Amino acid sequence: MNRTPLMAIVAGILAFFLLLSGPAAAQVSLSEGYAKTVESLDAKLPNLPEPKASPRAGSEIWFNATAFNDRFFTYAFQQRLGAAIDWFWVFGAKYRADIFQRWGGIPDPDCCVPGDPNCPAKSLDETYGFQWCPGDGQLLQFVGKLGYKDPACDLKDSASAAANQAQNACDLHFGTSTGVLGLRKFPNPRFNAEKWKALNGSLGSWDCFRGKGDAEGKCNGKAAAKHFFDGAVEPPFRIGMACGACHIGYKPDNPPADPDKPAWDNIDGLVGNQYSRISNLLGSGFTPHDLEWQLIARARPGIVDTSALPMDFVSNPGTMNAIINFARRPLHEHNILKWRKAASCEANSAPDACWCEPGKQGKCWQRGTQKELVQNILKGGEDSIGLREAIQRVYFNIGSCSEQCWLNHLPDVRAADPGQRNYGQSPFGVGQCRRDCAAFRAIEDRLPDLEAVFMTARPSDLWTARGITREQLEAQLDQEFFPGAVKRGREVFARQCASCHSSQPEPHDTADFHATDPNDPTLRLDWLGNDEVHPASEIGTFAGRSLHSNHMPSRVWEEYAALDLRERAPDPGRKEVMKGAGRGYYRNISLLSTWAHAPFMHNNAIGPEICGQTTVNEQGDLDFNENLYVTKDGTPLDGAPACRAFDASAEGRYRLYVDSMRDMLNPAKRIPKMHLLSHDVIIPVVPKIEDSKLAQALGVSLSIKFPKGKPALDVGSLRFKDLIQDMVLVLRGEQKFTAKYQALLDQGQRDELQAGLKRMHLELLKAAGKDYFEVNDEARAFIQKFYSTTLERVENNGHRFGESLSDQDKDALIAFVATL
Amino acid sequence: MRKLFLLLLLIAVAGGGYWFMFLRDQAPERPSADFADEKPATGLDPDNPTRELHVDFAELERTKPLTREERARLTPANLAGLSQEEVDQIYGRLSAGPIPDGYWDGGLFFPRGSGGKTRMGEIIGSVLGEIVNEKVQFAERIGHGLWQGKFFFKEQGVLRNAIQDLKLFEILIDDPTKVPKAEIPAKGWRSWISSTSDVWQLFPAKLHCGQSLLDGRRESVIIDYAYTDDVDGYQELPDSLAGRRGLRIRDEIRMVRPGFYLGRAYADRIFLLNFTLYDPAIAEAGMQGFLNGEDITEECWPGETGLAAAN
Repeated sequence: MNRTPLMAIVAGILAFFLLLSGPAAAQVSLSEGYAKTVESLDAKLPNLPEPKASPRAGSEIWFNATAFNDRFFTYAFQQRLGAAIDWFWVFGAKYRADIFQRWGGIPDPDCCVPGDPNCPAKSLDETYGFQWCPGDGQLLQFVGKLGYKDPACDLKDSASAAANQAQNACDLHFGTSTGVLGLRKFPNPRFNAEKWKALNGSLGSWDCFRGKGDAEGKCNGKAAAKHFFDGAVEPPFRIGMACGACHIGYKPDNPPADPDKPAWDNIDGLVGNQYSRISNLLGSGFTPHDLEWQLIARARPGIVDTSALPMDFVSNPGTMNAIINFARRPLHEHNILKWRKAASCEANSAPDACWCEPGKQGKCWQRGTQKELVQNILKGGEDSIGLREAIQRVYFNIGSCSEQCWLNHLPDVRAADPGQRNYGQSPFGVGQCRRDCAAFRAIEDRLPDLEAVFMTARPSDLWTARGITREQLEAQLDQEFFPGAVKRGREVFARQCASCHSSQPEPHDTADFHATDPNDPTLRLDWLGNDEVHPASEIGTFAGRSLHSNHMPSRVWEEYAALDLRERAPDPGRKEVMKGAGRGYYRNISLLSTWAHAPFMHNNAIGPEICGQTTVNEQGDLDFNENLYVTKDGTPLDGAPACRAFDASAEGRYRLYVDSMRDMLNPAKRIPKMHLLSHDVIIPVVPKIEDSKLAQALGVSLSIKFPKGKPALDVGSLRFKDLIQDMVLVLRGEQKFTAKYQALLDQGQRDELQAGLKRMHLELLKAAGKDYFEVNDEARAFIQKFYSTTLERVENNGHRFGESLSDQDKDALIAFVATL
Repeated sequence: MRKLFLLLLLIAVAGGGYWFMFLRDQAPERPSADFADEKPATGLDPDNPTRELHVDFAELERTKPLTREERARLTPANLAGLSQEEVDQIYGRLSAGPIPDGYWDGGLFFPRGSGGKTRMGEIIGSVLGEIVNEKVQFAERIGHGLWQGKFFFKEQGVLRNAIQDLKLFEILIDDPTKVPKAEIPAKGWRSWISSTSDVWQLFPAKLHCGQSLLDGRRESVIIDYAYTDDVDGYQELPDSLAGRRGLRIRDEIRMVRPGFYLGRAYADRIFLLNFTLYDPAIAEAGMQGFLNGEDITEECWPGETGLAAAN
């Protein structure tokens, strides 16, 4: 037989199988536009030490790596944590126009709607209703099959990663874009096309999966039901989240002409997305009646409660920090117990003290305590053990390695037996995670790359955004406010603000707040903040964020907290019962590029409310744009200011900045803001039966109702498990009650608590035959006093510094800060 | 009357039930498995210094893996004598194994505290706790009597519960004539009368792999009653009682050894009770191979590290 045809056949078969299983392509290969934005990154940091890290690789990881959280957002989130996401509402091609307006998401410039001219996909069935994105030619072949080769496998690693003997890049898990930057999709090998079609009618439809029936509300002749919790129906994709989901935003100095249709030039991976509705997205499958909606999803644009998933029962959403000018961020000395690299471990070392990765010579880690100079990262500075560790912790916030290491340390909202596992948090072990989760190592080994890309980010200057010089900007501001406004504003700033908002030593009379590094004129020398921490009561702003508790001993992120920060004295100004172990502090923030980041404060509450303008609206959609303005009595304000439409343009940001500054400098004129319960929230103490006939027949029902119109924080910050436990302890008259509260309450408070619990018990007994126990005003006052993790309700109080300035000085300050 | 029947049936649907009614009183020997009582190396909870913390399953499995010999010595009877924390420590060191098929005998037991009382009785304490303890144990016995086991229809991804066919309960069923029936081997005193026993196949559930509510490190086989209105033979009453508009019952099981599964039943994610599933024929046929280290088929996600340490 002639060997040539045989070889050709063999080669053909090989080529066929190669085509079937890959070739994967790293993100720079998939997107020409993205590749251009990162091609010069490595050259920006020529002086990095050898072996060199790569900001380009860091950017690819930041934008795309999900580090194995696709299983978290497909299974654990729904089944274990009881949270529901309506992914199709976010990614469905028919909702493309509302990605930014509804979710604050940044549309991927490279994706297209199937059937549109030049779109490789011609029908929605091909893409299961999603947009088509680069890399989908490969990915879509593996929906319902094993064998997908992830694009991360082809990441071009840095010299630093190679020297670190980095974990296989495939474990970074890139997948392909969903159409929203930072949210990635993966083919679900368990998808069953026939089952999907039987439920939804076609491959491109998600209607019955989402509980959207026909005109009569039916699917296949039966009442439509949401299947978000139905593990028997596997969706075509698993969805993963990269850090970029919250941090990618529009460049303040080069925004898109149309925010619904950006180009890559308009996109910045580190600036932070102040329009993001990621909290709402994470709860998009709920109804407002659900407890979990109140716990996870109540937030205004640009803020997210990163402790909502770990369930610390402190409602504390905060802004995504703008990652800019980090090379000049102040360092602070802390006492830090953490893992550090080591050349070797002693024989028979306990793996929780020292561990070497098998098969990797000299790749060891040792745990110990040292004093170190590190940045204060979180808003209370409580997780300050190092920048790299802070970056790694972000991956836990987004669900990476959840099953391997930390899901078992999170409470189940409904576990009510205090002796039961999953009743409360416990600390997860970084060492265990490193050993048991390849994705952890894949990120950890490339942290120098991620740190390097952080170091490339620079402030956005208003003069650049306007295409003029700084001098010309100052002239414009003087014209807008009054002649000499900027100069006068500088004097006010030096006198009134710089003690917190400058990293230069006092006195500030002659300080140059705009100074740049002579070797790198894009790098500001002044961080415009000292990152010192202060009791939240001193700042006066809404304290919820300062009271979050995940960093405390026995809690989930215990290993990410500096020891000395956990030992801070409680703020004597706080009335909450639970306030120790380092809670109650805020870090001063940087004012770099403040003009671009309004509204203000850690919860974006000071300044106008902002909202998107959606175009594809359907019956039953959740309303994210509630009126948050209330009277002094806490009731909804008639004629409240309307929310301001998202405006990512430089002038839109600037106008928002000016109005937010006026709001901040005139606290007496602020209208209080408060999230109120828009619907009754009913918390079942015993499992609730929705069918009233069944419930009546069974005769077992006990629920607590929090009525509509009360502050949402009543529910979102309630330690309801302790409330239940204490009622039992008080009834038993056990010393355990005393032991629990001995160090927290004095005798008078304990007596008051016991008496109140006994009263509540009687009320509950009276309610036993009713559908629910409604929390009346008396019970509410008692419950909130002892069981709320945050007693404040008004969200836009505080930061009264500057209140006493004259109107002209306030204008001057607004003008000067706009130049920073 | 209807209320009482429904309550009894609710207990039955929640779990499992091969077993003689008073087997617990025969006090089987404790299994020889190694348990950990050490606590995590962390400080007290600043908000609640009395809060109990449990050893991490990953740490437990690293330091005290459950050997095949230990698993072989576990039985439905001796598991029922363990405290709930010990049962949890067994469950956390198991994997899902193959998804069962066919009929499996069931047994159930409520959580017990460290003192041997039911957890509910222990929490309430004092005289009232003693009364509750007795009530829970009574409910357990009723459950054993009513609920016989589970029929797995693996190919269809469906499961049905074997409920004792009692004329008395027909008033609880929309259309008793449409309830699928089956014969199972008779147990207990019934076996003195006949070798088989008639049961109803009620409370259908969907069968799939999914998240364990106790141990997220690997999947369990999930038996979910929430979305069953499209299953053939579904009857609104009583099947919806366990469904998404009812008590939202969800079971999960992991394999102890061939022919023997340990399960947990939840109502709206609140843990209710433990149950066992047992197939004596598979157990007998598979024991030697299991002890010889034969591979275990894993049909669900076995986690990143699997059970390598224990095998």
